[in-house]
Amino acid sequence: MKKPRSNKAPAKQAQQQPNGTSDSKLAKFLDPNSSWDKDKLLDTLYWIRQAIGLFCGLLWGAIPLVGAIWIVLFVAISTGTVYWVYSQRLNIDEEEFGGHGAILQEGFFASFTLFLLCWILVYSLVHF
Amino acid sequence: MAFSLKYLDALAVVSISFATALLCEAISWLLIYRTSSYKSLRQSIDRASKKLDMLKSPSNKSASNSKKLDRVETSLKESTRDLSLAKFKSGGVVAGVLIVVFGLLNSMFEGKVVAKLPFEPIPFVRKMSHRGLHGTDWTDCSMVFLYFLCSISIRTNLQKYLGFAPPRAAAGAGLFPMPDQKMN
Repeated sequence: MKKPRSNKAPAKQAQQQPNGTSDSKLAKFLDPNSSWDKDKLLDTLYWIRQAIGLFCGLLWGAIPLVGAIWIVLFVAISTGTVYWVYSQRLNIDEEEFGGHGAILQEGFFASFTLFLLCWILVYSLVHF
Repeated sequence: MAFSLKYLDALAVVSISFATALLCEAISWLLIYRTSSYKSLRQSIDRASKKLDMLKSPSNKSASNSKKLDRVETSLKESTRDLSLAKFKSGGVVAGVLIVVFGLLNSMFEGKVVAKLPFEPIPFVRKMSHRGLHGTDWTDCSMVFLYFLCSISIRTNLQKYLGFAPPRAAAGAGLFPMPDQKMN
């Protein structure tokens, strides 16, 4: 699934950009051509994953959604979103960052336990 | 939707875990993270891993580089080993705190259902989620399972937030945090 990477050339130009341009963090995050170094990208994806875990945990618990199938759905949503962010939104060439595996497992276990914790907590407190 | 807050114990377990996580990070900061040796070690690891990434990138593959690559790799391994040794001291104190808190929670919530699971756990998980509980309602949740979830999610995120998480190059964090990560 090799897509022509348009990220290489613009990333070079992005570096020559005068630093004066005061692009806010969010603009930089949404700009697909901004250059990412490995740690910054993985940290960003890490916190995105934790936010998804927290949100899904609270939502599943509040509704409530009951049954192990919803764990599978959470894992799919969480992994799908992170994949969409880095490969479609940020146009990242995964080879440069250690391949899909390394990127997708960043912060996975912490977000999974956070999701379970929130789901159980809200479910127990609100529905009993 | 009147809720009787039957499982208020769950909140108690979570808040005790949160306080423990803060205490452990404070101890680690006091004993290790603020020391200059740790800071310089951390910088040398970050520098070495950045140099490694640059040397490994496909654009500069040459003989002289591979020698440099080996040198940087060995220096990275050495700093990583020194980092783990440095953390060993605070790790011992933190482990002591975790054991005491676990004993306290055990005495408080032994045999008590602290939460309700919104799913039926697989037998492997049941050993932990139903530990010390009577009956066979597998959706009853014991303190041990909740404490396990708290300590992983809260401590890992707290360390990450405070910047105490081990550098990626050193930990080579796989799917599960490295055991020694649990110690610091």
